Amino acid sequence: MFDNTTKPEALVSKTSKISTRNVQVYYGETHAIKDVNVEIEDKTVTAFIGPSGCGKSTFLRCINRMNDTIESCRVKGDIRIDGEDIYDPKVDPVQLRAKVGMVFQKPNPFPKSIYDNVAYGPRIHGLSRNKAELDGIVERALRRAAIWNEVKDRLQAPGTGLSGGQQQRLCIARAVATEPEVLLMDEPCSALDPIATAQVEELIDELRQQYSVVIVTHSMQQAARVSQRTAFFHLGHLVEFGDTDRIFTSPEDPRTESYITGRIG
Amino acid sequence: MNLSFLQNPLVLVALVLINAAVGYVLARRHAMARAGGDARKLHSLPNYYGMTAAMAAGIPALGVLAIWLLAQPMLIQSALLPLLPADVVADSGRTSLVLSDVSRVADGLDRAVAAGVLDAQRIAALHTDPAGLRDTLGDVGVALGAEVEVYVLAAAEKSRSLDARADLLRAGVVLIVALAGMALAVRAASPTFRARNVVERGMLALLIFAASLAILTTVGIVFSMLFESLNFFRLHPWQDFFLGASWSPNFRGDSDLSILPLLWGTLYISFIALLVAVPIGLFAAIYLSEYAGPRLRAVAKPLLEILAGIPTIVYGLFALLTVGPFLVDVFGAGGPLSMEGLRGGDPLMAGATAVMTAGLVMGIMLIPFVSSLSDDIINAVPQSLRDGSYGLGATPSETIRQVVLPAALPGIVGAILLAASRAIGETMIVVLGAGAIARFSGNPFEAMTTITTRIVSQLTGDTDFASPETLVAFALGLTLFVLTLGLNVLALYIVRRYREQYE
Repeated sequence: MFDNTTKPEALVSKTSKISTRNVQVYYGETHAIKDVNVEIEDKTVTAFIGPSGCGKSTFLRCINRMNDTIESCRVKGDIRIDGEDIYDPKVDPVQLRAKVGMVFQKPNPFPKSIYDNVAYGPRIHGLSRNKAELDGIVERALRRAAIWNEVKDRLQAPGTGLSGGQQQRLCIARAVATEPEVLLMDEPCSALDPIATAQVEELIDELRQQYSVVIVTHSMQQAARVSQRTAFFHLGHLVEFGDTDRIFTSPEDPRTESYITGRIG
Repeated sequence: MNLSFLQNPLVLVALVLINAAVGYVLARRHAMARAGGDARKLHSLPNYYGMTAAMAAGIPALGVLAIWLLAQPMLIQSALLPLLPADVVADSGRTSLVLSDVSRVADGLDRAVAAGVLDAQRIAALHTDPAGLRDTLGDVGVALGAEVEVYVLAAAEKSRSLDARADLLRAGVVLIVALAGMALAVRAASPTFRARNVVERGMLALLIFAASLAILTTVGIVFSMLFESLNFFRLHPWQDFFLGASWSPNFRGDSDLSILPLLWGTLYISFIALLVAVPIGLFAAIYLSEYAGPRLRAVAKPLLEILAGIPTIVYGLFALLTVGPFLVDVFGAGGPLSMEGLRGGDPLMAGATAVMTAGLVMGIMLIPFVSSLSDDIINAVPQSLRDGSYGLGATPSETIRQVVLPAALPGIVGAILLAASRAIGETMIVVLGAGAIARFSGNPFEAMTTITTRIVSQLTGDTDFASPETLVAFALGLTLFVLTLGLNVLALYIVRRYREQYE
């Protein structure tokens, strides 16, 4: 997708999928994200944690340029995926979002059938040559999202009729169906009960086989369970970033320690 | 003591209000006195005690007054009937004419007495020979159509005396009710009395009264139309009205009064109007809600809604003076699209008034209606659905076509049905723009007419409310009402039924 840009190989570390340099985000006059540098690795789950309003969701939405849809939002700095600057004027944000899928906080199935929900992305991007191929894509996506057995007999039923946990897995299937390289998840379990949460977490662990997953979460237990790398945000700053085990056992920054022990946030 | 000033209902209303104000002050003071001057010992704030007293003093008394004012003329009229000759009473039309004469004479006598032209003795002298009374009353400003008959004068005198007595009685009853209400409320104003809750219930009653008044008016309108329509169907066969083929009222008594040609014209014009308004209104709504920036939106939306504020008669003038002549230039004799050759020298459009003229202008009128309703509905589609679609790499127009519009469709259909019911009921544009010929034709450049214009024309000018040619207006109106009511109910049903899942 970035064919016409030259790759500045020097900036790319071996395993880094996404790398950001000095990212600043402003909402009008408000400086929401200050100087964030992270390296997000391929085939790993990276968790963003931090108190409400610390900018973790805003930063996540920079990675697939969803912030473009917000009028007052400005993004500065350098965000590269596979070495390509995604804010380069030559990059089409619409194409970018097909490669960087997103799952939202609240399940948001379209008012269509389960089948059409999953087939939505493949259809608009022309990923299949015929109906049989599309059927295959839909089935594979639903299987990968661990919901195939529950819906295989009612693919034509409306997606809005599923339970909350099923709806969220349907949304994950929908995101997976476009074959993205990165999957961004913005608090995907905050509207779900513990059983549905466990199912989605298990799913995230499986998705790691193929994708680079970035998940924003309010639950530190969840971050500890599903992620290999954790970034702690506070008041728009990236305070600490490292292996999940180390962040939760021996945090370097006192703010991180206060947060994970429950003294702030 | 002369109590005649009490006969004036306005004086009575003023007295009741003064009494209520006095009650307010007394009850407030009474409650405070019983609480030993400490407002904290009262159940409610002192003002609430005043308000309960004002309510108790004012509302029942004013209610009695209102009912009395409605009932008194009816009762007095029925008391006058025995004084009228039997042949007048036998004919209900003449009875009402004579009774209105009676009330005018009574009114004139009152004025003459007030002006000092007549007094009780001179009126008594007139009883046997009322000649000259017409001129006397003419001098005080009451014009009568003919000389006053003896029995009319007698009835007028009786009506005056009954009225005078009833008015005094009314004043007495109303004032007693007012004072009793006040006294009870002031006595009740003790620290344990829950005045606040009573005021709350009073407010609730007021709101329910207002709401039921609106509903009752609607019911009243329907019933009045229904009764006149029944009169019509007694005089004219319903088969002709609902199933006939032509509309040609005349006053020889053999009119064809079929609704079908009018219904055809109505639906044809409405269809063209919707053909104009729906795409333009919908696209405008999509642009405004999905693409336009906040600043443009802040300017464009009110501008579009100005269209909705233009009186329809102005649209009618626009149709008659601008759109009609323009269409004639194009489709009329000698115009580039008149198709005279194909039609044997007969141009497609003969005059400026035509279905197309009215339909186009009505469409323009409906644009803001469709766009503003659709805009609200599109905005009600949750942002999360748009985000979901953008997040999958869809463009804005793909998102609108495949996610936003399907989600908003029920609401948009509802908006279109509401616009259709407005188009069907629209009058002024079609009066001026559509012509007056009732016919079935597929050519949109011919003049046709609608139900509403026929109602207007059947009820203007000299009308005789006993002829089917006039009464048909009510049957037409009722049909129109049923039609638009049905559309509105359907629209509301669709909107509600399919909106649920997003709320």
